[in-house]
This record gives sequence, C-alpha cells and structure tokens, in this order.
Amino acid sequence: MARSRKTTISDEHLQNLEARLAGTLRPFQPSGELVQRLRERIHIPAREEIALRLRDWKKMFLVFGGVMSGLLLLITIARAFFYFWGRKHM
Amino acid sequence: MPEIEFNEEEVLSLASQGDRDAFGQLYGRYIDRIFNYVYYRTGNLHDAEDLTARVFQRAMNHIQNYTDRGVPFSAWLYRIAHNLVANWHRDRSRRQEIPLDDLPVLPTKGDHPERNLVRSQEQDALLKLIRRLPPERQHLLILKFVENLSNAEIGEIMGRSEGAVKSLYHRTLLALRDQLGDQNINLEGE
Repeated sequence: MARSRKTTISDEHLQNLEARLAGTLRPFQPSGELVQRLRERIHIPAREEIALRLRDWKKMFLVFGGVMSGLLLLITIARAFFYFWGRKHM
Repeated sequence: MPEIEFNEEEVLSLASQGDRDAFGQLYGRYIDRIFNYVYYRTGNLHDAEDLTARVFQRAMNHIQNYTDRGVPFSAWLYRIAHNLVANWHRDRSRRQEIPLDDLPVLPTKGDHPERNLVRSQEQDALLKLIRRLPPERQHLLILKFVENLSNAEIGEIMGRSEGAVKSLYHRTLLALRDQLGDQNINLEGE
C-alpha cells in the first residue's frame, strides 16, 4: 500500500532543509586561469576559422584568376598565330 | 579600482552587431553564473568547462538573433546552457558511462583543498538527490542558493510568475524531504 505523504512541511523542517541546501549549493568561483582558458577557447578558434575562411577564399580567387588569365593568354597567342601565319597561306 | 559602468543594453546592441569586445564584456559578466549552473548540473569540472565554452560559443554565433523581449539576457544564456546540458545527459545515458551519483562532490569557494576532498556524507547524499530532480527544479535550486536570487528574479529567468516559483520551490522541498525519508537519510539536527 502506498504510503501517504504529507503535503506540508513544518517551519522547523523547512529551515533545516534550506540551511542544508545552502550549505551544499554554494557558489563556486572558477579560477582566473580557467576563465582565461575559456575566453581563449571561445575567441581564438573563431578568429582562426574566419582567417582560414578568408585565406581559402583568397586562394580560390587567385586560382580562378590565374586560370582565366591563362586562358585569355592562350586565346590571344592562338589568334596572333592565326593572324600572322594563317594569312600567308591563304 | 573603480568599476567600469556596464550598460547591458548598449553592450548587447554592440555584441549583436559582431563587436567581439562587447561580447567579451558579456562573457566576463556571466561566466561565473553559467559555469556554476553547468557545474552543478553535470557534477564534474571537465565537462562543466567544455559545456560552458560551448554555451558562449553558441551565444556568440547566435547573438545577432537575440531580441530583447523584456527578459534578462541571462535567461537566454541559461536556455542555451539548459539545452546543452540536456544533450550532454542524453549522450551520456546512451554511452552508459559512470553514473552521475558516483562523481565526486564539487569543491566550493573558500573551501580548504582537503575539505573539498572530504565533503560530508550528508552533502553528498543531498547533492545526489538534487541531481535526480527534474531539470527545472534543479535550475530553481541553483538560482536560489548558488545565485542567491529572489523568487521574482528567478521567475524572470525561468519565465514564470513569482507565485509559480514559490509554489515550485515548495513542491521541490517536499520532494526532497520525501526522498530523504525514503532513503532513511536523516539530516543532522533533525
């Protein structure tokens, strides 16, 4: 049979329980080292990520620019050959 | 050294525009509170450190979406912390790691290092019971005893009325008393 439970708590019991809770749940002050370590962990990786993303973006831009410039150069040389060499044999 | 005036509204506005220094000020203001919350909810330093870092990382990544709806900024941070701690508990139960009750008792401010190691059985038992309470009741006890907040302030953070907080607190005490009784734990002085 289920035991009946009191739905009230006496003042004395309440104060005692509250005192025990206050003694158990006390504020913990994280050390300065821990706070700094967390600060670095939160800030630095994010900055690195941004820097990496920028670096990658720059790299991609350079690669794309290089390929396009190379293609333009090839087309120009081909057109020059065609212009000088092709006209003689026409 | 005189304390620099902290205008939270202004700092929040700057932080939401991507100002890292402003976010750093918010971090400095709330790190202790979030760390304590996570610390008491997880029961170990290592995970508390990891989760606290993730709370602030997530906050930093989403602060541009933060809108002031009249509730304290800390409520938003606690919500992030609550979700991360819930995920942590879920992952932990899946991996079936060491039961939380076996974890060492937390050291607290002002304690002698040796006293940290040898915490009384009574406090151990009480901590174990607290960690078995539903998350919102744990949150309430942490805000009340660790943060030393009033029912009204707790209500603002938890999104409840002052009366509802008072009622929840009373039910929490009753639950703790019953659990102490079930386990035949007699608090010293009773």
